[in-house]
Order: sequence, then C-alpha cells, then structure tokens
Amino acid sequence: MVANAVFTINGLRKSFGPIEVLGGIDLALAPGQVTVLMGANGAGKSTLVKIMSGVYTRSSGTMELAGRPFAPATPAEAIRAGVVTVHQSINDGVVADLDVATNLTLDRLSGTGSKLMFNPGRVRREARAVAERVGLDIDMKKQVRELSLADRQMVSIARAMAHEPQVLVLDEPTSSLSSAEAERLFALVDRLRDRGVAILYISHRMSDIRRVADTIVSLRDGVITGTFDTEPLDYEGAVNAMLGRRIDAGQIEARAATGAVLSAKGLRIAEGAEPFDLELGAGEIVAVTGLVGVGKTALAETLFGLRTPLGGTMTLGGKPYAPRAPGKAIEQGVFLLAKDRASSGIVHDFDIGRNISLPFLRGLSAGTIMQRGAEQQRARDQIAALNIVCRGERDEMSALSGGNQQKVMVARWMAEPARVFILDEPFQGVDISARRDMAAKLRASAQGRATLVFLTELDEVFEIADRILVMSEHTIVGAHRNGEIDFDRLLSQIAGDGAAQAAATTTTQEKTTAP
Amino acid sequence: MTSQTRPETTSASPMDKNAIIDLAIRFGFLALLVGMVLFFSFASRGFASPQSAVFILQSVAITGILALGVTATLVVGGFDLSIGSVATTAMMAASYVMVVMEQSALVAVIVCLVIGAVVGVINGWLIVYMRVPDLLATLGMMFLLIGLQRIPTEGRSIATGMSLPDGTTAQGTFSEAFLALGRHRFDLIIPNFIPVSVVVLIVLAVLIWFFLEYTRFGRMMYAVGSNAQAARLAGAPVRAYKIWAYVISGVFASIGGILLAARLGRGDIASGNNLLLDSVAAALIGFAVLGAAKPNAFGTAMGALFVGILLQGLTMMNAPYYTQDFIKGFVLVIALVFTFALSQRGKQ
Amino acid sequence: MTISRRTFGRIAAGLMAASGLVSVPALAQDMPAPFDNPEEVTIALVRYLSTGDFFQAYLSGVESQAEALGVDLRVLDSRQDAALQADMVDQAIALGVDGIIIQHGLTESMREAAQRAVDAGIKVVAFDVDVENEAIPQIEQSDRDLARLALEQAIADNGEEWTAAYVYVPGIAPLDRRDETWQEFKERYPGINEVAQFGTLDNPIANSNANQARSVLAANPDVTVVFAPYDEFAKGVKIAVDEAGMSSQIKIYSADVSTSDIAAMREPDSAWVATAATNPAVVGEVSVRALAMQLAGEDVGASVIVPPTLITQDMLLENEITNMEELSVRLPQFAHADVATPEWMPLPAR
Repeated sequence: MVANAVFTINGLRKSFGPIEVLGGIDLALAPGQVTVLMGANGAGKSTLVKIMSGVYTRSSGTMELAGRPFAPATPAEAIRAGVVTVHQSINDGVVADLDVATNLTLDRLSGTGSKLMFNPGRVRREARAVAERVGLDIDMKKQVRELSLADRQMVSIARAMAHEPQVLVLDEPTSSLSSAEAERLFALVDRLRDRGVAILYISHRMSDIRRVADTIVSLRDGVITGTFDTEPLDYEGAVNAMLGRRIDAGQIEARAATGAVLSAKGLRIAEGAEPFDLELGAGEIVAVTGLVGVGKTALAETLFGLRTPLGGTMTLGGKPYAPRAPGKAIEQGVFLLAKDRASSGIVHDFDIGRNISLPFLRGLSAGTIMQRGAEQQRARDQIAALNIVCRGERDEMSALSGGNQQKVMVARWMAEPARVFILDEPFQGVDISARRDMAAKLRASAQGRATLVFLTELDEVFEIADRILVMSEHTIVGAHRNGEIDFDRLLSQIAGDGAAQAAATTTTQEKTTAP
Repeated sequence: MTSQTRPETTSASPMDKNAIIDLAIRFGFLALLVGMVLFFSFASRGFASPQSAVFILQSVAITGILALGVTATLVVGGFDLSIGSVATTAMMAASYVMVVMEQSALVAVIVCLVIGAVVGVINGWLIVYMRVPDLLATLGMMFLLIGLQRIPTEGRSIATGMSLPDGTTAQGTFSEAFLALGRHRFDLIIPNFIPVSVVVLIVLAVLIWFFLEYTRFGRMMYAVGSNAQAARLAGAPVRAYKIWAYVISGVFASIGGILLAARLGRGDIASGNNLLLDSVAAALIGFAVLGAAKPNAFGTAMGALFVGILLQGLTMMNAPYYTQDFIKGFVLVIALVFTFALSQRGKQ
Repeated sequence: MTISRRTFGRIAAGLMAASGLVSVPALAQDMPAPFDNPEEVTIALVRYLSTGDFFQAYLSGVESQAEALGVDLRVLDSRQDAALQADMVDQAIALGVDGIIIQHGLTESMREAAQRAVDAGIKVVAFDVDVENEAIPQIEQSDRDLARLALEQAIADNGEEWTAAYVYVPGIAPLDRRDETWQEFKERYPGINEVAQFGTLDNPIANSNANQARSVLAANPDVTVVFAPYDEFAKGVKIAVDEAGMSSQIKIYSADVSTSDIAAMREPDSAWVATAATNPAVVGEVSVRALAMQLAGEDVGASVIVPPTLITQDMLLENEITNMEELSVRLPQFAHADVATPEWMPLPAR
C-alpha cells in the first residue's frame, strides 16, 4: 500500500442490476505520482472513473480524500472537493466556438457569484494565470476550433487544473493524438506531477504507460489483478494481469492452410508505422490480436476497401487487389463483419430476414425485382444453420438477444461463399454459448476461404484461431501457431517490447518520433 | 391499390393480450378513413357519388404527387423542403417556354422534368458532398427557386398575351396538348370521367410503391435511411442512393408543377409553400397507415386521400377555411402520435 | 365621353413624344409653379408591395405620368418590410424631395413617418393606406363600386332571384369592403339565396379555390351565380365549373382584371361573364396627378376615388380584346380616368 496516499479507495463495489461491474476495488493514489490503470474493454475502468467523478454512485465500499470521506453525488461536487476528471472525448472538455481564454475561465463565468458583465480583458488576464500555472503557451485569442487536437486536450487539462485539484483523472488522454502531440501532453503530465498532483492515468497504450507510469494497476473483470510499483516496472506482468491467462491454449487442433488466397506486401496502414507483409491461406482461421488502438480495425478496413493503404500492394487469388469501396470488395468475395453491430451492422427497421439478405440483394432478385420467396428461404436456412433463437425470419432485430443479433450478422455474410471473411471483434457483447456456436460454425465452414478474425481477448483467440498474428503500433510484430505458443513471447509482443527495447536506450524526446 | 398491399413487417407484440392494440394501431387509420367517408355520405348530400370520388382524387393529385416524391427522401433519412417551390418553378418554366419562347408542349414538359432532376442533383450534392444538413440545404434551395422563378419575367405572372419586360407582347400560347394535361378526361364507365392528373397520380403512386417495396434499389434506400453505415458496409453506394432520392423528389415535384400549369392555364408567381405543407402532411400521416411507423408509398397515398376527403367533406358542409387548417393540423398531430407511440413500443 | 381637354392633352402628349427628347419644356410655361421648372421637382414613390402584375402596372402608371410632367421620380421599394418603409420616408425627406406617394403599408408604421414628411413641408398622397392625417389625401380604388358594378350586372343578367355561392376570406381590407356591398345587395334583393360561402388564400390561390369550388358545386348543384370578387377566386371557380361541366348553367361575376383573366373570360362558353376593374396604371397616374395638384397649391379633397369600369364577356368579344393593352386601347373608359385633371395637367402619351 502507498504510505502517503492522498486518495484511497477501499472495497469499492458497483452493480448494475444483477451484473456486478466492480467487485471490490482497493486503490491508493500518492501525490506527485502517476498511477496508470490498465484494463481491457469492459474491465470496469470507465465505471471506476465515473464513480470517482460523481457521475455514478457506488454500491458499497468507501473513498477517502486527504483523510476525509469522499462521496460525490454530482460531478460538480467531485470537482469542488478536489477530484477533477478529463474525459476521453476531447470535445467534451472544451467549447469549440469560444476562444481559449473564455474556455479556460468558463467555470467561473457560470458559477454563482460570478460577475454579471463579461469583461474580455479581465477574462484574458485570469486565463493567462491559469495557463501559466500549468506551463501552457497558447494564444489566448484563438478560437478552440482552430486548435489541434493536442492543444485542445491541453486546454481541457489546463481548465481542469484551474480548480487546483488534488487528484487528476486522465481518461485515455492520448487516444486521438499522434505520438508527437502525445509527447507534449506527457511533458504537461510531468509538470503536474512535479507540482504534487496525484494523477490517475487510464490507458492501455503501452508507449504511454512506459513514458509516464510510476505505478501500474491492472484491472480485469472488475477486480484488480496486479499492482506493479517497483522499479523497473514489470510491463509484461501488467499486460498479463490485464488479459488473464486462464484459458488453455491448444483446445483446438490447428490446421494448415492450403494455398494462399490473399497476400499483402509492404502494407503500411498508418503514418509512421512500419510496413508489414500478410498472407492468408484457404481453410485457415487467422486471429489478429493486440491491444485496443494498435490498428486492428484500420487493417480490417484496408482489406475491405474502406481505407486506402499508405503503401504496399495486395493480391487476391494471384490478381492485384485494390478495392475502392466496400461494394468492390464484396464483388470479389471479400466480406467484412464490422465491429459494433448496433451502429454498423444492424438495419434496425428491417426484420431478421431482410437483415440477412442485405448485401446480396442482386442474387435474390430477378433483374431489379426482389424475389421474396428466395429471400425468405435464405433467411430460414441461415436461421437453422446458425441456430438463431427466434420465432421466424419476420421477427424484429430488437426482439433478439445480443448473441442472436450477432448470429444474424454472421449469417448475413455466410449466406454466400467468401474468399476472405474478415470479422472485427465479432464476440463483443455476446454470451458465451452464442460465441461457442459461432466459433464452431466458423471453424466448420472454413474450408475454401481465408478467415481473418480481429480479437482483443486472448481466450477468444485461443478458442478459434489456427494461426495468431500480433499487432502493435499499427504493424504486425509477431506470428504464432495455436497449440505451440510461447506465452511470454506473445505477451511481450502484445506489450510492444520489440519497439520498447529500441526505445529504452534513447531519450524520451527522440522516442516520440519513432513509430 | 388494395388495402393489403404492404407486407406485414411490424412486429406483433410478444404478448397476445396486446394483439387488439396492435390491430388498432395497424388498421386504426384506415378504419377512421372509412368512418369519415360514411359520416360525410350521410351528412352531406352529393358526397357519395363517383363524381365526388373523382373530385377528391383530383383535388389531392398534385399534393399527392409531391408527397410521393418527398416520401423517397424520407426513406433515405432525408427531407426535401424545396418541393413546393420546384413545382411552382416548373409551372413558371412551362408557361415561359410556351408563352414567351413559343415552344411546343413536349419541349415544355421536358424542360420541367430537367429542372426537377437538376434541382434534385444539386440538393443531393449539397447534402452528400457539401455536408449541408438536409433541412437547411433544401430550405436554401426553396428560397433560391422562389426568387429564380421571378427573374425571367421580372416578377410578372405568365399568361397568354402578357406584356414582357421589354414592352412587347408575348406571342406564344399554351398549346392545346399541354392544356389537355389539365383538362382532358378519360372515359371510364362514365364518359369524360377520370382527369389526366388522377391517372398520373395513380400511375406514379403504383410506380414508387412498387419501386420501394419490391425492387432491390428500394430495399437499399430503406437500409440507407435506417442505418447508413450498415448499408455502406453491405456494399451500397450510399451517396448515390441519397442523391437519387432527391432526384426522384425533384422530378415528382416538377410533374406536379406541370399539372398545375395545365390546370391553371398560366404561370402564377407562387411560393408553393401550401403545396409543401400539404404534401409533407400527407407523407407524415402515411407513417401511421397500417402501423408502418416509417415512410411508405401506400401510406403517403392514403394520407393524401385522407386529407382530401376531409377537406372535401368539410367544404361541402360549408366549414370556413381556417377550421380546415385546424383540422388538417389536428389529424397530423394524431397521426404522429400513432407513429411515435408505436415506434417506442417497437423499441422496447 | 367628353372631348377637348383630354383629347387635347393626348394629342399634345403625342406631339411631345414625337418631337423627341426634352419634350416637356415646350408646355412648361403653361404650367403653374413649381412645374414651370419641372426638372427641378423631385417626387418619391415609397412602396410596400411590389411583386405581382397589379403593382407592376401601378408603377408603370406612376412612371408615365411623372414623365409627362417632366419631374424626377425616385422609387423606394421596401419589399413588404413595414419598418423599412417608414425609414424610406425619412430617407426621402433627407433627399429633399418635393412630394411623396406612399403606396400601401400599415397605418401603425406609416402614421408617424407621414407626419414627419408633412412637417418637413413635403406634399404627401397615400394610395390604399390610411395614414390618419388630414393633410394627406387618399387615392382609392373604390372597392364598393367594384362590387356594385359587378352585382348590378348580375341583376341585369339574371333578374332579382337566383341561387348564389359567394367566395370570401374575411380579414383582408379590400375584400371586406367588397363584402359590405354584397351584404347590402342581399338585403335589397331578398330573392338572392346564398347557399354556400367558401374561399381560401392558400397559394397557388386559383388552384386551392378550384378544389373548394368543386366540393361546393357538388354539394349545391342548383347554384346559378357565383360572386367571386377577386380575380384569383374567379379563376379558381371557373376551373371548377369547367371540370364539373356546369359552364352553361353557372355565371361568374368578379372584380379585377389581368391578361390571363381576359383569356379565361373569352374562352368559348366561359362561365366568367363579367368583372369590374380599376386599371392599376390609371391609379398610378392619378396618384401622381393628385400629388402634382397639391404641389401646385390646388386642393384635391380628402380622397381621390378612381372609378372602376365594368368589363363584360360581350365587350371583350365584340372589341376583340385579348390583353390588357388592347383593353386600354379599345375600352377608353378603362384606359383613362377623368380624375385629377386640371386644365394645365399634361397627360401621358398612349
């Protein structure tokens, strides 16, 4: 435990209905220290942040700030008490249509006791004082909309610092910044640390963590699974604790591919990222894993024609492949089951049958006229094949459970033979039995096509993949065959050690320009 | 059209005890329509006759056609405020082409259709590529057209023998073929019975209904309107679909304008705002028909008919015009309650 | 038709037009001050309404009479902005104009501005707006006379007993004045049986009224006369009558006229048999003449009424009138009003 902690959490629990999201958190934050909280999606990070910032109330447990009980009922109360949170979405923290000075003093403008008249000169003076306190050097008259994302983030943090908080919570502050921009943010974090602020820094970006962490706390399934505070910090241990390692690898029999279907040479998918090669064979299921934000979705979108690669070439079945739009990719047999079905998969006004038929209407129509009989037959076949629990193909999507909704999405794309079937986080928000059903169906039907699955959770990876690729910093850094996995090497690749070793010897300034 | 043209896509409530409510929501509006016809038939002499039915259809023909067009934009999740002014601009253009430029009816019709299509493309371009919100883009277009239609004649209405800005007198006339679009009647059992505009309305209604319900393009338009990202990821050229929807809307509005010019026999300076409001009301009332809770061609046609019957009946009973506006608004509000109460139920 | 004065005026105007430029000074010596030096007289037309055929024609009348007088005319157009119109009066005062014609507008917004102009020593006349000022004469087209002429023709054609439908939207000043006459006629001739009243200003007005008229005629097939005292109403009723195939049974009487109205009245078997109208160009001319008389120190009285003309289908057919120009030429009583025409007043060339 931290000896001189300014903020402590003891036995904190939070449930939403029957689901327990936080199962007894103990945490202590020391002044002048950056404590990094790592956790996969759904681990409970944001719930914890929301309790600390007064958005949610806890179910049980206690929090203390400077020795006094801390139980904010509203965000304003948390801020007054001295716990300030800078949320992930940058634009939540600033008002784009006002200038920097007004943004920095916004809370005073609207607080009780504030002056009735708006005096630009006074506002700018006050704003300059706020900016100087955090060492921020920005033109006070500029409109926030004209600032870069990093500058907006700085303004948002400086604004938070105007409250003189004892505890500052930064929720994934670099998620939309480039590495050079991020370095400016780190410099600011360093200054705040020197001023004695206790900082809780939420992230799963390894480069951030290496740069700023004094202590790492890993969160998994609502409980803290590891605390690392002795130098040198054990980054692999932290990743391991965050991802868990309870699943037995090799529960499936890895198959070998029969001939290449899709191959990419020298592919580059982000500015400053290393190029990489990729080869997908027929009959194999390849899982791509890596932490959030390492470019998995970018790769999926590149293969599906939603993004143009910055470099490199792709071939499909030996012929050049450069789809300009999803329609072109689909025509050539490359299908993508996109991540987040609610926003990018389900057509909410359509019933199950029409959701299944969506991409392949041409084949289900005579000329331009839909053949409803054929469409319904296809829907019934797919419902049976994927074991979708429903009354019939005319059920609304909203009547289905998350797992069954996702099965409909899988059914949509498995209704026609694919050459390459890409699934981006297909098991998000899916119960375990539906996940097993889908994994089994994917494995059973894998012959004749290449299947590429993007997954963050390792246990899901082991459950489905023949081959495992690891992504870090927008490139592929490792390849493994399921059943013969060197866990330590896999974890260190996920944690980005390859890049880190090169960087460890250089100064932090230089590191920011490296990929 | 029969009353069973739409397939049953609405979800029945999971519990059977809600079956009656579902039935009420699905058929409530059509029942109201039948009830209204019966009421007016007894309350007003001369209402229940084949001639009266044709009157009603004729009185809603132009707004009905505009409403069918705006339905297409509603389907893709958009909106078109410019239809009224497209119609009056087409009316002015037809008159100008014939009276001032002394061209034939065919040229006038083609010019109108081209204007409708071009306005649709520009609306679509503004919305899709310039990212102007649909309401604002089409509002801007509305003002633009209201002004544009006045420019060639310097604010004058166009009629045969009008004097032109340069002081001379226009030599052209409305051709007989063009006026026939507004005045000719087809024989159907009774001679000289069905006006051209009613035939056009029915043909366009069947066309757009079939297009939206039974072709894959129509299906994709619904997908675009419900979840554009999902439609894009299913390979649909979302932008093209949106632009096409505005083109359909523009062309339908210009057809409405042609019929208006043919009926009036001149080109009146007019904003077309009443046409816009009536046709939008028809399309929105259409949401409630058969419990669809979404834009649909059959509902729009029924919505237009509903408003037409209501106004016809009230006028025959000597109700003053402001009560008619009130009742139109009242019906619209009720229909929206039907629709949105219903869609809330669907989401649960 | 009286002779000499106007005929002389017209000949004189014709001569002036023929003799080319700077025609007015030829006669200028005969005119009272300040028109002995007409080029130094400036008048302003401050408009509230400007779009539409009526207002176009009104403006052309103002322009031609101003030209005949040889004065400088400024046109200030507020495009239905009441506040701007009042500002424009002030602007005209600042410009130092000698006279102002206020064309339409709202009493509330114009009363003060008009008073300021009068206080500045400027002569003012007002057309179709009551600015509640005794120093300012009203130019009026008589709506009551319009309705009276049309209804007298209806009595002449149909006798004193008929079944009527009436088109009316309350709350519009000219229509309200026409309605007063209609009510008087119904009292005077109890045989007039009004079975239906309808009407709307939804635009396009003719189209909306056609829809209503269809319903009314279906409900009241015994109607023989429709009184539609506004030409847009009459146009709509005519469409409905044609569509219902009732043109031989129904006669439409209206007010106002335009080229397209003439075409509609001239159609074979047209039910639209008569309309009463004031020529807006003449109203424009009278406005300028009344102002000129004021400037010359003559009294025109509290109001100057421009009398309407009855135009029947028969007149149009006999004289082969197909548009407004021909109407002016072939129905001289329409082309000219014998109002505000003192001896010295030059009249516009035709």
